[in-house]
Amino acid sequence: MARNDALETGELTDTSFYILLSLVEARHGYLIMKNIEELTNNEFSIGPASMYTTIKKLLAAGMIEQLAEEADKRKTYIATKKGLDLLNKDIQRREMMIQHAKQILNGGVKE
Amino acid sequence: MAQTKYISSGGLAFDEEKDMRKLADLARKGWVFEKFSFLGYKLRKSSPEELQYALDYRKEADEDYFAYFEEAGWKHEGTSGGYIHLFSAPKGIAPIYTDQSSILEKYQIEKKSMGKAALLMLFVNIALTVVFYLFTTASFYQIYETPIKLTFTVIEAIALIGLIFTGLPYLGYVYRVRKWKR
Repeated sequence: MARNDALETGELTDTSFYILLSLVEARHGYLIMKNIEELTNNEFSIGPASMYTTIKKLLAAGMIEQLAEEADKRKTYIATKKGLDLLNKDIQRREMMIQHAKQILNGGVKE
Repeated sequence: MAQTKYISSGGLAFDEEKDMRKLADLARKGWVFEKFSFLGYKLRKSSPEELQYALDYRKEADEDYFAYFEEAGWKHEGTSGGYIHLFSAPKGIAPIYTDQSSILEKYQIEKKSMGKAALLMLFVNIALTVVFYLFTTASFYQIYETPIKLTFTVIEAIALIGLIFTGLPYLGYVYRVRKWKR
């Protein structure tokens, strides 16, 4: 499915970023939601439809993989090497952006 | 007093949000969603509730799909056509979509499948016109003119309705995709 997907340009959306970050450890889909809410003190949450769509997308792009289905048929996912690489690349990109912003804003205060 | 009533849908491709607001308004007045009905919704008398409704399209919905919604506080209310899913939640529960790219994808998929259906209906309409034209040139046309004309009028009317019911929703989704791409 070709679309203007952030994954193709090598950048993660905030939603993909937090899902991938949660899947550094293997987790059930709905535990990802809870994990993100705890991690961000409810500052960032992902709706169920966005969660499902993004997981499908990350799976298709090979960024995460499915582990064996459990007895209750709920699927567990974990980030792949490819996914972790992209996550690290995106962390660097985000760090750069913060640095740039700080340069400008801190510089502005001094003047 | 009646325990159930029907309301019509304004057409999901055109105004899904309006339908959802209408359902929420009626829930506040004590009429909650019971099930999908032909071109609308069947409601059931209940105590007034402050609810919000949301709709999603998902062809291959699995257990995880519904588990995510449940976990997030959304109740699965019903499914129409095997892929249109309606959910409800108390007021204050976060929306089912929280990012623009997923919403865009929702409407892109609908646009694509509705576009295919509309294109098929367009071909059917063109083919019927061509076939009718061929009949008018045939030697037996003079003898059976009335029954042939009548038959084609009926078939073409049905085909035209089919084109309208796929073509207009398609345009609705084209508009939605444009809106969310911005």
